[in-house]
Amino acid sequence: MDDTPNAHELFLFLASTAHDMKNSISVLSGTLERLLVAQSPDTSSKVEPAYTQMAHMLYQTKRLNDNLMQLLALYKQVGKPEYPFDVQPLELGQLVDQVVSMERVLLQSRGIQLELDCDPRLIWHFDEDLIVGVLSHAINNAVHYTCNRVRLAIREQDGWLELRVEDNGPGYPPALLKAGEIATRETAGGVNFLTNSAGLGLYFSSEVAKMHRHRGRHGTLRLENGGKYGGGCFILRLP
Amino acid sequence: MNAAAQPVVTPLLSVTPATIDQVDWADKHYLVVDDFVGVRQLLRESLRSLGAKNIDQASSGGEAMGLLARIRYDVVLCDYNLGDGKNGQQVLEEARVRNLVNPSTVWLMVSAEKSVESVMGAAEHQPDAYLIKPITEGVLLTRLNRVWHRKQVFRMIDQACAEKDYLRAARLCDEQIAIDKVHELELLRMKAKLMEKSGQPTRAREVYERVLEQREYQWARAGLAKIRLANGEFEQARQAFQGVIAENRYYIDAYDQLALSFQNMGKLEEAGAILERAAKLSPNSVTRQRNLGKLALKLGNMAMAEKAFRKCIAIGEYSIMKTPDAYLGLARVCGQKNDPKEALRLLLVAQREFAHDHPDIQLRTKITEGLVYHESGDYRRARKAGDDLEAMLKATLERPDVPTCLELATLLFAVGVKEAAIELLRYVIRNNHDNPLLLEEVQNIFDKARMPEEGVAMIRASKKEAADLMNQGVLLWKTGKLGEAVAWMRDARKAVPNNQRILFNAAQIMVSCLQQQGYDAALASEAYEILHHVDHLLPGQQRFAQLMEQLTQLQPAADGAGMSAVA
Repeated sequence: MDDTPNAHELFLFLASTAHDMKNSISVLSGTLERLLVAQSPDTSSKVEPAYTQMAHMLYQTKRLNDNLMQLLALYKQVGKPEYPFDVQPLELGQLVDQVVSMERVLLQSRGIQLELDCDPRLIWHFDEDLIVGVLSHAINNAVHYTCNRVRLAIREQDGWLELRVEDNGPGYPPALLKAGEIATRETAGGVNFLTNSAGLGLYFSSEVAKMHRHRGRHGTLRLENGGKYGGGCFILRLP
Repeated sequence: MNAAAQPVVTPLLSVTPATIDQVDWADKHYLVVDDFVGVRQLLRESLRSLGAKNIDQASSGGEAMGLLARIRYDVVLCDYNLGDGKNGQQVLEEARVRNLVNPSTVWLMVSAEKSVESVMGAAEHQPDAYLIKPITEGVLLTRLNRVWHRKQVFRMIDQACAEKDYLRAARLCDEQIAIDKVHELELLRMKAKLMEKSGQPTRAREVYERVLEQREYQWARAGLAKIRLANGEFEQARQAFQGVIAENRYYIDAYDQLALSFQNMGKLEEAGAILERAAKLSPNSVTRQRNLGKLALKLGNMAMAEKAFRKCIAIGEYSIMKTPDAYLGLARVCGQKNDPKEALRLLLVAQREFAHDHPDIQLRTKITEGLVYHESGDYRRARKAGDDLEAMLKATLERPDVPTCLELATLLFAVGVKEAAIELLRYVIRNNHDNPLLLEEVQNIFDKARMPEEGVAMIRASKKEAADLMNQGVLLWKTGKLGEAVAWMRDARKAVPNNQRILFNAAQIMVSCLQQQGYDAALASEAYEILHHVDHLLPGQQRFAQLMEQLTQLQPAADGAGMSAVA
């Protein structure tokens, strides 16, 4: 952070504006979720076009929220010691519960089934807020690519925690896979924000992965096609 | 894409296995504090869908305090940013200090983004959890349940802490660590703190090392560094704290400790620079601004001192943590800037603001007044203040804390009120006869007043007096005259009310009296009173923890309060 008084005032101004925007988005997504739950069609009746449009509005609102959250985190220099990084031990059940609760209405309104595969009693060490943010962002993304299924699978493997978000869509387009490769590259400065709308989310997620360090290893992020459904796979690995 | 035409499938609501003791959140009484009406409504709706019926709302810190003063809430959801007035942290602090919330009350702090405060981990009053917006029902429920279970785990430990039976609390931690993997690290952290509070740094170090074998946690690194600091290994402590800061720039507590390490090495400039950086990262701590101001005053950096004291007063306006120090410090700054008029105005404000909670405020403002006049060269008025102070000391047996006594004695010598100064220093020595560093400081004050021989003689005599008082009591005890020993120590305590050695021995003798002659409630409560007084004088002594444990164990189990069995 800059030490000039101007920079400080600008920071306070931005922080309070961000606070305000967060409030607005909270109300927007909260209200949409409530409306969607109230209007949810039972399986026999026909889905109203208005319902579908509302579901899409919720999707867009989630994207807006993700982007704002990621911008804020980047402004606070996520990935650097300047970020208030906070690792705690947590049961995976607690992590998954929160991700599911954030995505439930969106998935339901879009007719997408979420499959969960993890040991809820397993304890791992990570920054809860950041990882919840990364996973819900990955699921929001999968909503865009999937046909009708998304899978969140978490398991321990050789001292790593592997968190996978898979979908049964046609898979990520080559451009996105390429962007994933660049964003997650070891050397910094690999993101091309101008040509890639997905760049921000990928960059954020890979910075979050790298922040998680343990015994000389750090977390990684990978995009690929395949997995259980043969669609897109978002793979986060934490030491 | 035609996703909406697909059959709607509800995913699992929760993967957490239902435990037998699920909490009924419907019956609880809630308070929602946010300055934005939309968010209040949203949170209220979320709570309603958990079944909640009793939900109160406040749009400002002041309004929240009004409600908290009248109603005992089970759950408080409080935004950190509340516009003008108190912020969320200040509401929490005041509610805890004024005992407006129960230990069982769940306090969730809400903010728009990850706050620095949430990772500092060292603030005295912490909420049970920090939540980041947007908050959905599910996240709320997950966090409420988690906090509730955590509170169950820590209930007995917290109670033992509240009773200051730190060793019992540590044993409870051990029992829980053996069976509770989820809370293991938090319990270890608690245990390490308890070991520090009980004056057993070696055992605290073992706990921190055990944590670090698992993972690199900065609080454990900082804990090890703190032990080094307490051991007087200042250079190693400095390196360790700097290491913590390099890993996590927002671990603010490490800055405060690093500044302390520098101060102990006599590097005041460096200490000031560190505190200034910390104050920039986390500017809303009354305590940190106060420390920075005091240090800057010592350094003669009046600009920095003024800025820190003014900030301290500004944020203290709404904080229960405010103390007169910033006003007194700022008055000194004004004095040095040759503006005694403004200094006096500040002292008047301090007298008005703190008359209620600080009984020694008259004396302290008068001391500052004397210093201001003396430093600005108005020796006549300084002498007048000295005479007033002498009269105030004569009017009461109460004496301020040791640093204030030393400051006062120095001033009295400087303005020529020698008798009162010597009398005050005699009091200091009699109550601290076994503290060599302090004896040296007192001798220094005499040297500066050009009375070195008087100092040597007075210190020797006062030391002997206190030692004789103590030895006679211990002799009676060792020769089995327990009743007489207790009576003797009671008198000794009257003569030297703040002598820690004598107080500890008094409590010790009372404890062995209780052990040998059976339990006596009046004597036990006298012993408790003495121990709490010593702990107030200097917290974290091993003898305090041991005697507290012995006393609690002596308590008959009939009332069940002291020796509640572990479930």
